[in-house]
Amino acid sequence: MVFAKTKSVCPVCLKVIPAEKDADRDGNIYMLKSCPEHGSFKTLIWEGDVRSYLNWQIENRSIEAPVDGKEPSKGCPYDCGLCKEHLRKGCCMLLELTTRCNLRCPVCFASAGEKESNDLSLEEIEKQYDYLMSHGGPFNIQLSGGEPTMRDDLPEIISMGLKKGFSFFQLNTNGIRLAEEPGYALELKDAGLSCAFLQFDSLSDDAYLVLRGRKLRDLKLKAIENCREAGLGVVLVPVIAPGVNDNEIGDILKFAVSNIPYVRGVHFQPVSYFGRNSLDRSLKRITIPLMLRLIEEQTGGIMKKADFAGGEAENPYCSFHASYLRRKDGSLKSLPRAGGNSSCCCCNTASDDTRNFVATQWGSLSAPATQDTYRSADNGLTETSSLDAFLEYALKNTFTVSGMIFQDAYNLDLQRLKRCYICEMDRDLGMVPFCAYNLTDSNGKYLYRK
Amino acid sequence: MSEVKSFYEVDPKGQFICHKCGIPLVKSDAVFGYLNNAFPVEMPVCPKCGFVYVPEDLALGKVLQVEKVLEDK
Repeated sequence: MVFAKTKSVCPVCLKVIPAEKDADRDGNIYMLKSCPEHGSFKTLIWEGDVRSYLNWQIENRSIEAPVDGKEPSKGCPYDCGLCKEHLRKGCCMLLELTTRCNLRCPVCFASAGEKESNDLSLEEIEKQYDYLMSHGGPFNIQLSGGEPTMRDDLPEIISMGLKKGFSFFQLNTNGIRLAEEPGYALELKDAGLSCAFLQFDSLSDDAYLVLRGRKLRDLKLKAIENCREAGLGVVLVPVIAPGVNDNEIGDILKFAVSNIPYVRGVHFQPVSYFGRNSLDRSLKRITIPLMLRLIEEQTGGIMKKADFAGGEAENPYCSFHASYLRRKDGSLKSLPRAGGNSSCCCCNTASDDTRNFVATQWGSLSAPATQDTYRSADNGLTETSSLDAFLEYALKNTFTVSGMIFQDAYNLDLQRLKRCYICEMDRDLGMVPFCAYNLTDSNGKYLYRK
Repeated sequence: MSEVKSFYEVDPKGQFICHKCGIPLVKSDAVFGYLNNAFPVEMPVCPKCGFVYVPEDLALGKVLQVEKVLEDK
């Protein structure tokens, strides 16, 4: 039964075609679409019934127009950079600092390391910072690539960003250099890095061999250890692939919780079929309901499906998130879902409040959370240490579980894309929504990425 | 938590009068209880009727922050 309509693209020619959301007899939701030239396509988008699909939706959706958006001419998704019809001004911006990489991951969305090395010059990076500041900045900056730590001037790049007015810097990394180079994590932290977004697919080497092409378990653990010593927060980022590591979700979460506070959370990325993903495309996808079920099952109910909600800033079908407070006895308490939450970066929401929250947490753990008077008691002062102690405890013991369902040419929904919040900075186009930038046809040819 | 205690300034200092009893409030221990958590905080309290004055800044500041952390969905 078809219950909703949208637009998508043909996975072969990337032409925009109508698409329908269909509740199948098997109890799941599929996207159905037909290209006059290349035939029909049926893609799983939700492992659950219509009611659960519609219940995930969040009402009262705000719109933020891009600053100085382009006039659209060809229509979504062909006018990216951002155009006036886009519904978000952006939150997280990826700067692809280099195309070099010291891994050859079979699932790389950026197909990194294939072409000639192409690093952005410091002048180009400065231009990108300036562009972002004049188009709605400051945003949260994701230092990405390639593997950004292949560059030796990351501290300089962070310092430059700080001077330009950005305050949140996330390093999207495989962790190899963090593990192998003593003092590197501290050097980055001292330069102003906010947190490491560490690829962390597994606690065993088998999954790394499939997803990353080599054994990496010990290196990952060493990278986390080095970040802990440096006082640099880490978010673990597992790509989850069916049949490869979807049985390790609970173990990864338990490992992360046992490493609070320096492990700040886990951000799952169920596998998508774009870029250099050579995994068999007929493999079943993992959609939000299955991820939540696996989380609940594999944590023995410590984390529950009901704890999670969709992102409120981006399209809710793009992400899921929950926050927990670790109590003193080690148990977890699910925390309320604050308005405006997003799951696109370490910070977990787009608001300035959260940027400040994260800055307080990792910038200086001893900093007071509010502006209060610290002085000896007199008649006019009341003591509030218990509130402060609790707030400080909460800052050090909150933990976030989130995930992002990226779109590819098979499941692309233009309604979702129009609310995309994470953009890639392109030197010619400006800000391009992540899933548009990495969109590839069935032959691996990109729509935007060069 | 560091050794330094945290204090909240009440303004005007010690000049609050209990409207019901007509006597000045005095600094005393009060406990904020919320969802099975207790936070002992010094507050201006009426020594006769036990009325506790919660300064607006504190209620909308730290107390609200604590509530947000603790609140159930």
